[in-house]
Amino acid sequence: MTAAARVVDAVKVYGGGDAEVRALDGVTAEFPAGRFTAIMGPSGSGKSTLMHCAAGLDTLSSGSAFIGGTELGALGDRQLTLLRRERIGFVFQAFNLLPTLTVAENITLPQDLAGTRADDDWVDALIDVVGLRDRLLHRPSELSGGQQQRVAVARALAGRPEVVFADEPTGNLDSRSGAEVLELLGRAVHGMGRTVVMVTHDPVAAAHADEVVFLADGRLVDRMADPTAEKVLDRLKAFDGAAGAKEVVS
Amino acid sequence: MRAVGTSLRLSRSSLRAHKRRFAGTFLAVFLGVSFLAGTMVMGDTLRASFDTLFTNAYSGTDVVVRSADVITVSGQGQGTREPVSTELLGKLEAVPGVAAVAPDVQGAGQLIGSDGKPVGGQGPPTLAGNWIADAGLNPYALAEGHVPAAHGQAVINRGAAKKGGLHIGDTTTLRTPDPVRVTVVGIATFGGEDGMGQTTFTGLTRADAERYLTPKAGEASTILVRAGPGVSQRQLADRVGQVLPKGIEAITGQQATNENLDMVSGRFLTLFTTLLTVFAGIALLVATFSIHNTFAIVVAQRTRENALLRALGASRRQVLGQTLAEAVAVALVASVAGLLGGIGIAAGLQALFPAVGFPFPAGSLVLGATALAVPLAVGLVVCVGSALLPAVRAGRTAPLAALRETAVDHSGASRSRAVLGGAALAAGVALTVAGAGGGRNVWLAASGAVLTVAAFVVLGPVASSYAVRALGSPLVRLRGVTGALARRNALRSPKRTAATATALMIGVTVVSLFTVFGASLKATMDQTVSRSFAGDVAISAPVRGAGGTGLSPKLAPAVAKLPEVRTAVGLGGGVATVDGGGRQLTVTDPAALSRVLDLGTVDGSLAALGGDGIVVSRTEADKHGWHPGSSIPLAFADGDRRTFTVRAVYGESGLAGSYVITRAAWAPHRVQDSDTLVAVSFRAGVGTDRGKAAVEQVARSYGNPDVQTRSEYAASSAAGVDMFLTLIYALLALAVVIALLGIANTLTLAVHERTRELGLLRAVGQTRAQLRAMVRWESVLVAAFGTVGGLGLGGFLGWALVRASDSAGTGAFAVPLVQLAVVLLVGLVAGVLAGWRPARRAAGLDVLRAIAAE
Repeated sequence: MTAAARVVDAVKVYGGGDAEVRALDGVTAEFPAGRFTAIMGPSGSGKSTLMHCAAGLDTLSSGSAFIGGTELGALGDRQLTLLRRERIGFVFQAFNLLPTLTVAENITLPQDLAGTRADDDWVDALIDVVGLRDRLLHRPSELSGGQQQRVAVARALAGRPEVVFADEPTGNLDSRSGAEVLELLGRAVHGMGRTVVMVTHDPVAAAHADEVVFLADGRLVDRMADPTAEKVLDRLKAFDGAAGAKEVVS
Repeated sequence: MRAVGTSLRLSRSSLRAHKRRFAGTFLAVFLGVSFLAGTMVMGDTLRASFDTLFTNAYSGTDVVVRSADVITVSGQGQGTREPVSTELLGKLEAVPGVAAVAPDVQGAGQLIGSDGKPVGGQGPPTLAGNWIADAGLNPYALAEGHVPAAHGQAVINRGAAKKGGLHIGDTTTLRTPDPVRVTVVGIATFGGEDGMGQTTFTGLTRADAERYLTPKAGEASTILVRAGPGVSQRQLADRVGQVLPKGIEAITGQQATNENLDMVSGRFLTLFTTLLTVFAGIALLVATFSIHNTFAIVVAQRTRENALLRALGASRRQVLGQTLAEAVAVALVASVAGLLGGIGIAAGLQALFPAVGFPFPAGSLVLGATALAVPLAVGLVVCVGSALLPAVRAGRTAPLAALRETAVDHSGASRSRAVLGGAALAAGVALTVAGAGGGRNVWLAASGAVLTVAAFVVLGPVASSYAVRALGSPLVRLRGVTGALARRNALRSPKRTAATATALMIGVTVVSLFTVFGASLKATMDQTVSRSFAGDVAISAPVRGAGGTGLSPKLAPAVAKLPEVRTAVGLGGGVATVDGGGRQLTVTDPAALSRVLDLGTVDGSLAALGGDGIVVSRTEADKHGWHPGSSIPLAFADGDRRTFTVRAVYGESGLAGSYVITRAAWAPHRVQDSDTLVAVSFRAGVGTDRGKAAVEQVARSYGNPDVQTRSEYAASSAAGVDMFLTLIYALLALAVVIALLGIANTLTLAVHERTRELGLLRAVGQTRAQLRAMVRWESVLVAAFGTVGGLGLGGFLGWALVRASDSAGTGAFAVPLVQLAVVLLVGLVAGVLAGWRPARRAAGLDVLRAIAAE
């Protein structure tokens, strides 16, 4: 199985001297194509940093990150931007949509920025999948939070990217809307053959993934295939214990 | 007291934290105050310098004896007075308390420099007179050489000597305007300086002065009297007054000084400083919009913060106080800085003016209390006043707003605004058109214009939606999604877009108003010359009031003798009182005039007017109900009254003026004879080049005045308009700069406000270049809205000004498309420039920080 995205010996250091924080401390991980991977870990474990670096939003202090066969460290700002536009889709926790654009315009924004034509049939099909056909000409402010996130998912998939990165996509939603968004992401992987990497701290959300990667203190500590909410929760509790013990020691 | 302290502490920390936000406000106030302070300091300084000049000029003179009658023609500051007889000298010397008496024979006299070019003559007077022996009465003091003792000898002031490259022993020509050969025998100084400002002076013997500067010997312009010890000016004036015949008066030296000062400040300084103050006002008006906008945005962005303060128990007054305190702090710092800047401007201009040949006397800067207090107060009032509304809005923030998602100002234009603005616009336009068109009522037109401008400001938010949409549509076609995003951003807050653009709109309005007015003025002048000048070449020289001496009356007859010339007619000027008011008379040969000037339809005969015939223009004739055969009583400066008979009425009055009499009729009343224009037509078959060369040959021996072809003459008549326009543009550039700072500031704040959005755009694939272009295009759209609005408004008001100021109804209205296109282009380029920094800042945002932002 090929990796849609991977990081090798990824290190990310913020600040310097006494204030130095090692957000990533030598992480090597692969996100296989055609799979739904969740990244989990307690606050400050480095899960968001890992996603940002893997997606080309941030640069590593050392180590390397790849999208497909492309090494991101070798790319300049412009090339990174084009790579994000053409090969990656994003869903953020909040503020995913431009308030001045309509739903339809938001969905095709990356293609419009690239000056290319979106695949109309594909986009049309996506709109039905996310169930927003009657909202195409609305502005984001006229949609509920769940609807907004569904638009974001549609936008992330519109360019048929190699990988979709989702950063706490359900963080701001109630459980029903959250479930709808997660179901959409699952269908993107299993029904449409896309790759999704999702950062979350919610075991219920993680249970939708094919595999969960656990991070703690900037290190990859575990992987779990076919997760359920209970198994994930148990695993996390073990971390909390370990982290608590560590604090006592230091 | 504690509460106030808290407010102040909050404002201080807010100012520190948001230095950048207030930079635009600071600059707007700073520039406006600088300009105003500079204007006022310069005005005071100039007034003080002129004061010193005239005080020096009359320092030793206690009483001035002159004719009591004066004829003043509107538009000419100095009235015309008849000379006084020097027979009075003996009588005056006998008055007890008189120490010295001297006749002052003065007239226009322009020196020709060693390079053959006239010295001076661009504004400040070029004077000649008798060298007064009494050192107290003569404001000039001999510095080198000796006083003129024989015919043809002259003392010149050091400034003139330097400018003309003249030295003791040099022989040159003095235009009086008849060319006179003089030999420089001495160099004089004025109150220790090189001259009386830029004025040039040539001192001759009394005999020479009487011969060249007055029509007959035994006359002087005035008689100067110096008092003996213990006699005051007033006492002496009273005593002298008792021995004077009727029609002659005695005034004190102090009065003479004041009269001259009033003349200069009334005619020139007041106009100059008023003009500058008007532009300072425009700059400050533009600044008001920029400042208001900045505070409005800052308050909108701070809604959450203010709501939190309110939720925590801050009173309305405290929140309002915080915003106002910020405004006061910015205003104080900016106004004080502006004051210093203004003093710098005044000092700079003072240094610059002599370098470009502007007629300003030197002297140290005068910093009066008013000149310092007024700009400071204006700066404070403008800044705090502009911030008042936003501050009140800040105070009204509901504590609950802290809990809501911060909403960017989405306020659209209300219906009542559209209705109110529309009604005001309709009324304003109607009033303007009524005032400018039919009734020619300047006040009606002006109030209409003010109402129209106000309506434009009120309608701004309504219009901005439509205008930005329309202006942006080619942009969307051209620049795709970047253009579309820029257009959407500009449409987001119509109020804000309108307020930002309004500042530029006002600047552009005034620019295009003057452009249209100037072009129309030029077209009118051009039309006047081309319509009424039927000759081939024109010879002209600045007249006395404009710093020159005019042309020798002997020039026209000399040119007429040339074999190439068919007709050469000289036009001179005179004054007389007609129907209670001073009137400019054209003194010429009316019969020959019709061969070089097109007088339109002539009703009556121009020939053989003699000493009591007069020709008047149709306009004046209609106004007074005159027709050929009517009698008009004229009163001259010498007190002579004479009844003239209207012999003809002519249609075109452009170059010929409104009243034409013969030289014979004017001769008894003339002072120093000169022509202002010699119009020449060639014989058939004589080419312009050949004829012009021949005329120039003759003109050379009459002081070398300019000989111009018809088109050159037309162009030089309009040259003053161009100079005036250049000055106006330079002054307005300031207002435009302030408007641009406003756009830049608003955009910077908008970028700050949209940080997350920009981050999202970058994350999903907007390149830095696209982001920069998006911000810049938004800036261009706002600028385009302001510029287009300003062009439309300025064009309309320009039309109104042209029509309202054209009392005769003969003026032309011209729309200079090229210049207006340049204004549009400048507006758009200005938009690009204003967007430059905000665009760079936006593109420099860290994508992650932007999407992670709260």
